[in-house]
Amino acid sequence: MFWISRLGSILGALLFCFLLDKVTGGLSDFSSRLVVLAGLYVTLSVSLNLINGITGQFSMGHAAFYQVGAYTAGYLSVTYFSKAHLPGFLWIVLMMIVAAIGAALAGLIVGLPSLRLKGDYLAIVTLGFGEIIRIVVQNQPSIGGAYGMNVQPKFPQLFASTGTHGVWLVWLLAILCIAVCRNLLKNVHGLPFLAVREDEIASSAMGVNVTGVKVTAFLIGSAFAGAAGALLAHYEGFLSPTMFTMELSFIVLTMVVLGGTGSITGSTLAAIVLFYLPEKLRDLPPVPVSFLVGAVIGAVGIVVFLKKTIDNYHGSSSQKTVRMILGTATGIVVAAALGFVLKVIPTIGHAAPVEAAKLRMVIFAVTLIFLMLLRPQGVFAHHEFSWSWVKKLLGKKDVPTTAVST
Amino acid sequence: MLLTHAPVAELTFSSLPQFFVNGVLNGAIYALIALGYTMVYGVLRLINFAHGEVYMLGAYAALLTSYALGYGPGQSGPGFPSILTLAIMLLVSMSFCALLGVLIERFAYRPMRSQPRIASLITAIGVSLLFQFGGQLVLPVSPPPSISERVNPDFLRTPVEITLKAPDRQMVATATSLKPAYEAAKQAWEEQKKHEANEFDLSPEGKTLRTSFQDAERAYQDAARKADASANKILIPKGKLVMFSTSIFLMIILWWLVTRTSAGRAMRAVSHDFNAASLMGISVDKTITFTFIIGSALAGAAAMMLATFQGTPLTTFYGVQPGVKAFVAAVLGGIGNIPGAVIGGLLMGVAEDLVIGMGYSQYKDAIALVILIGVLLLRPGGILGSSKVEKV
Repeated sequence: MFWISRLGSILGALLFCFLLDKVTGGLSDFSSRLVVLAGLYVTLSVSLNLINGITGQFSMGHAAFYQVGAYTAGYLSVTYFSKAHLPGFLWIVLMMIVAAIGAALAGLIVGLPSLRLKGDYLAIVTLGFGEIIRIVVQNQPSIGGAYGMNVQPKFPQLFASTGTHGVWLVWLLAILCIAVCRNLLKNVHGLPFLAVREDEIASSAMGVNVTGVKVTAFLIGSAFAGAAGALLAHYEGFLSPTMFTMELSFIVLTMVVLGGTGSITGSTLAAIVLFYLPEKLRDLPPVPVSFLVGAVIGAVGIVVFLKKTIDNYHGSSSQKTVRMILGTATGIVVAAALGFVLKVIPTIGHAAPVEAAKLRMVIFAVTLIFLMLLRPQGVFAHHEFSWSWVKKLLGKKDVPTTAVST
Repeated sequence: MLLTHAPVAELTFSSLPQFFVNGVLNGAIYALIALGYTMVYGVLRLINFAHGEVYMLGAYAALLTSYALGYGPGQSGPGFPSILTLAIMLLVSMSFCALLGVLIERFAYRPMRSQPRIASLITAIGVSLLFQFGGQLVLPVSPPPSISERVNPDFLRTPVEITLKAPDRQMVATATSLKPAYEAAKQAWEEQKKHEANEFDLSPEGKTLRTSFQDAERAYQDAARKADASANKILIPKGKLVMFSTSIFLMIILWWLVTRTSAGRAMRAVSHDFNAASLMGISVDKTITFTFIIGSALAGAAAMMLATFQGTPLTTFYGVQPGVKAFVAAVLGGIGNIPGAVIGGLLMGVAEDLVIGMGYSQYKDAIALVILIGVLLLRPGGILGSSKVEKV
């Protein structure tokens, strides 16, 4: 029974990737690019979740591992691809493995200090490592320095013989990453990770090898980021240090935090939502300033109301939910109304409208702040998607699970 | 730029003092910013990520004040002396930052106080990103504006020169002796030039004169440069001197506030033991607000002075690098420790200028992080941050 369901999952994943590849083939360049990048962000977010959420080691330098992987693969491809005479598909898989090893080495270097540091200090050190790696790459003329590096071959050439677009490989990596993290948690080997997150001293007293767990988390997390980097390098065909700034680390961090630190489901969904929504902003017309002001006032009002309700409202939980939903809806209506009313004020009404795409990072920032104020454990907290949960929603009886529950 | 660094020379034994002085002058600014980090960490155990952005907005406050006072682009400036302008800009910048710090604490950090520390840290990152990217929507960013040079009074425009060693007398004599020959050759060549029809097709005597002029010029300039290099001078821009002395003055006021007033005593108590202090009747909220006021006002002062005297164009990312460096300075000195922040800031400035002097200026932003990692791994408490030292 176990093997049948496992086989089914694997076949399902392969089918999903194959269909995604077929569907993306019919889309425009821009849309298929979004699908690829979303896959990479899912990988990044889930792998960071292993370090941040599951093991509780607050790392903020994930862009660095991504960068190490990307540059390792990019440099090797540029130098050796023409000499290797390997089929393109095998080559990219080889590059992913090499990039994963390279990034894992970087992860080891960053992970070692984590043995001595905790919490905010570890956060700062990982951030520092990330910046150091970026600055060093920026000053290496042999890999393009600040001008960036052209990477050959690109996806179309690599996947020409397979008759696909390569989108499947990106998402297969994402699914592999999810599967590794999920199976780790369902497995006896994953329990030490959770134990270290909950209480380091207690877990070491129970015989958990705390050092080993932390280093393993950094190794696995950074290896996946590195493999994603290899795909990015060959997909974009161009690498530059400006692609791997602190900003990227913060974006991935926001995804993990929004999804719920420790929840794989959460980080996956948050990565997709937080990647797509801001990209959709590009299609919107410029926003008049009066609406921006209205949105700011409305958002602050909603947050204050929600915070007050969460902290001080003592009705039943369904009453509370209704109250919160109604309050939010009222806030949105008021914000929109303010947008029209404020147009009357000449300085606001005549100001040049703001391009919606410029709001991208602002949205990330606001998400972080409001999330921490209202639900610091993230949307999914520690919960995961499971079939028994779906059955419960459909009104069927809960099936007891045999696996270790998190 | 008006008051740049003294000319960057190679780091040699004789240029060492110059780099050292540059480093100390820059370090004082890092120290001012680091004080804000260290005081907030002392009372709240929170790395205030948004401090760099408070600094950035302080610089913008100074810029907009200078615009309001008539130093904007295309304006001619007000009638009153510019030293008064500087004072107004400093006060506006400090009070604006103090207000901003209080608002951030009240609305972003205070609701998080019961949550785990990492939640406050994430909020702080959020606030910092919000100011960086939200600021781009409202503040002037392109082209990056900088505070007009005209706000600087005239007497600040020349650097102070300190001669450590006079130039070698013999070399000066050689240079002086070569000067008449050089001037004569120049004169002759200039005369000849008037008779030449075309500068690219000279007559034979024109060619001779030009060659002899070029030789004489080279000989003289070589000798003059050698004579100059044999001296050992330190050049200090006066603006930086003003900056340095203001910083020291502010630090003395801070020292007085912390050690001699009841608010300062409350601050020390809260940093020593948060809960015990509140049991002793100290209003923890008021004390934390006070800490944010002081720390942010110092950042505002640093921002105004650097933006005015260095003249770097402002962007909304203006605070990122100084913020990181000041944070490193605070950790280096022992975070939570006020004298430590000052020492760390000065060391940080000197280290950075030595790296520039050694010719690795592209790595000057990385050196801070290298120091940070080194300190955290080898001596996490920092230089002064042992548990015995009184912390704020």
